Amino acid sequence: MPAPPAPGAGMSYTDVPGFVEESVAHGETTVTIERERLREACEYARDELGFQMLSDLVATDYLNWGARGVSGYIGTATGRDINFPMTQGLQTQPRVKPKRFSISYHLLAMRQPPERVRFKVWADDGEPVPSVVSVWPTADWHEREQFDLMGIRFAGHPYLRRIIMDGDWEGHPLRKDYPIGGEPVRFSEAE
Amino acid sequence: MVSRLRDEGLSSERLLWPTKGPSRFEEELGADEIERALGLTTLEKAVRWAQTKSMWPDTFGLACCAIEMMAIVSSRYDIARFGMEAFRSSPRQADLLIVSGRVAHKMAAPIRQIYDQMLEPKWVIAMGVCASSGGMFNNYTILQGVDRILPVDIYVPFCPPRPEALMEGILRLHEAHLAGVPPAYERRQIATS
Amino acid sequence: MTIAPARTRTAWPVVDDSQYEGSRIPSPIPTVKRVPADYAEREDIMQINFGPNHPSTHGVLRLIVDLDGELVEGIEAVIGYLHTGFEKSMEQKTWWKCVTYSPRIDYVGYQANELTFVLAVEKLLELEVPEKATWMRTLLSELNRIHSHLIYLGTSALELGAISMFWYCFRERELILDLFEMVTGQRMHTRYFQIGGLAEDIPDGFFPECRKFVDWFPHALADYRTLLDRNAIWLERTRGVGVLSASDAIALGQTGPNLRASGVDWDLRREQPYLAYANVDFQVPVYTAGDVYDRYRVRMDEMRESNRIVDQCLRRLERMQGRPWIVDDRKVVLPPREELHTSMESLIHHFKIVTEGFRVPEGEVYVTTESPRGEQGCYLVSEGGPKPWRVHFRAPSFVALEATATCMHETLVADLIAIVGSLDAVMGDADR
Repeated sequence: MPAPPAPGAGMSYTDVPGFVEESVAHGETTVTIERERLREACEYARDELGFQMLSDLVATDYLNWGARGVSGYIGTATGRDINFPMTQGLQTQPRVKPKRFSISYHLLAMRQPPERVRFKVWADDGEPVPSVVSVWPTADWHEREQFDLMGIRFAGHPYLRRIIMDGDWEGHPLRKDYPIGGEPVRFSEAE
Repeated sequence: MVSRLRDEGLSSERLLWPTKGPSRFEEELGADEIERALGLTTLEKAVRWAQTKSMWPDTFGLACCAIEMMAIVSSRYDIARFGMEAFRSSPRQADLLIVSGRVAHKMAAPIRQIYDQMLEPKWVIAMGVCASSGGMFNNYTILQGVDRILPVDIYVPFCPPRPEALMEGILRLHEAHLAGVPPAYERRQIATS
Repeated sequence: MTIAPARTRTAWPVVDDSQYEGSRIPSPIPTVKRVPADYAEREDIMQINFGPNHPSTHGVLRLIVDLDGELVEGIEAVIGYLHTGFEKSMEQKTWWKCVTYSPRIDYVGYQANELTFVLAVEKLLELEVPEKATWMRTLLSELNRIHSHLIYLGTSALELGAISMFWYCFRERELILDLFEMVTGQRMHTRYFQIGGLAEDIPDGFFPECRKFVDWFPHALADYRTLLDRNAIWLERTRGVGVLSASDAIALGQTGPNLRASGVDWDLRREQPYLAYANVDFQVPVYTAGDVYDRYRVRMDEMRESNRIVDQCLRRLERMQGRPWIVDDRKVVLPPREELHTSMESLIHHFKIVTEGFRVPEGEVYVTTESPRGEQGCYLVSEGGPKPWRVHFRAPSFVALEATATCMHETLVADLIAIVGSLDAVMGDADR
């Protein structure tokens, strides 16, 4: 185990291979990584920075992000901000996303205080993402699940096949252009 | 009020042999006693009574309702009073399939296989709203009610049903069966294998 | 046996990594153990299917097992038979309604899921939850932990043949469910945690009843210990079975009791305290053998510690009667009904929250809590609207099942049952 940084020193992620940018929100650090260098970055995180555990792997589909500008009431603690015109009720306009899919890797460094970081990778439909199974074996099923539900191919995964849906299911259910399914219910507004 | 044989115009052996006098057995018991000591019923009713009192469920817990189904086996709700604590793992030995939980499309085929493996007579209870109608999940993956693939006898709503509610459903099934209501596959004329 | 005292530790977090040499994680696929090719040709390998419906009480888990007689040579776990589409369903519902979906994910530790989701939304909203709600949430979470471990113990023992344990554990479980019903109105899927605090005030009469339970429960635990702790059959069936080393456990992402039984001293309630855990005194049990017996012991000790936490929460809550139980922010929380008769703003707030739903500012957040099964996380992406954009739950059972192949080392079929039971995987959590 490498020597952890001194408490309170703050982690610096600029040396991570493939580093693009870093942002902090709600007390969480998000580091954007270049897609091609993801495996190097994860090995660096595990070996140099001490993130021994991959807590979670999530893919998010940003199709039609920010497209609906619904006016209305703001349910935030700070209330409506009339100094932000043209936002149609949203406190700010949702920021434009670089690509359609983001894959977030939530890492955990088990030390005192525990350190968590989110490595984020952007991909478009069809672009493969390097698999990190060789870095953290737990990514096996997580990547299979995201492939199954979102359709993101992980290059280098030893066993990439559907895990949650039926083996012969067509489509990737969690994508935004996949319908919710089910059936119309009588007397509901959907009918 | 116990109905006596002679009220029905019947008397035991004299049905077939009107001129025969009382038998030794009848003499010993006394003509009144015999009607109190014996019960008259049809074979069907007797068989139904036996089936009701030992209707063994299959260990078929899917989701949250399974935990409440396990609770009816526990000592507070005690399904053993009704002879049903023997949850059989093999569908070949089970009479009752309690579909407890949400049924995903992936699980629909195994459920049907298990139902087909059960021997007649067999009953199905759809426990919980997810098994009855899809519940709160109206989406691409949940079967909107297990009655799409199985003939269901009793639907027990709530999410999840209290153990008492499930027992109410089971007892109503018993009553229905005692009253002569045929199992759902007969009513719906569904081939079961 | 080592129970790490709270907040002091020596070699940390890995207390002991000597369970076996090297790594037993199968290669190339970490979650599938395959029969070696030459072995398959020589011996008579039978592949059988522990289908989605099976006698053990784990729900719909399917195991494809390669057997050489009674020895398990290959195993693959197939899940997905209970996939409910929670994540997509939640994208269609307002934030309030999503809280109703969340307990059904891990349906045994249901308040843990609610808690994780509600904490995540509150983090995005940057709400300050009142103290009474925090303490009550802690109390209910710990009661839920006891509930979950009781079900684990009852069903696990039932599968190994210690059938009486089932009835004892469910008897105690009924006491806990009575408490839940008293407070929330529901036995399971209580939906009492509300975004901003609690849905309703704590009813009178709860504190004496909870006190009765807290006083009784150590006796029940003592009963269980008498039955199982030094039971020769139990020891024979669970000692040395399904060993998982500390490094393998960390590599496989294990958390919670599975990790602590493998010699890693890691508990999120102590490391990143949430709710009121920083103000509560409790110990974290850590054992080092990494087998089924140690996982059993970790959970038994956790039940005892949870009881102590409930006791401490009770004492704090008894002094907090009459305090607010939900945050006062009318943009997020419904106003009290009496106000609707007199205040126009309250009426508008009520209307907006009920019809359109409140809005959560744009952002993403990942909140983790220590559920009875391990680290439960909720990743939330909000667009700024009344409905979530993306909800993802990090399911500890999903990750626990990844370790099945690694735990199978010279295991017999009977041991297989013990191991899968000890991983304590709930299929609703694994499949979501």
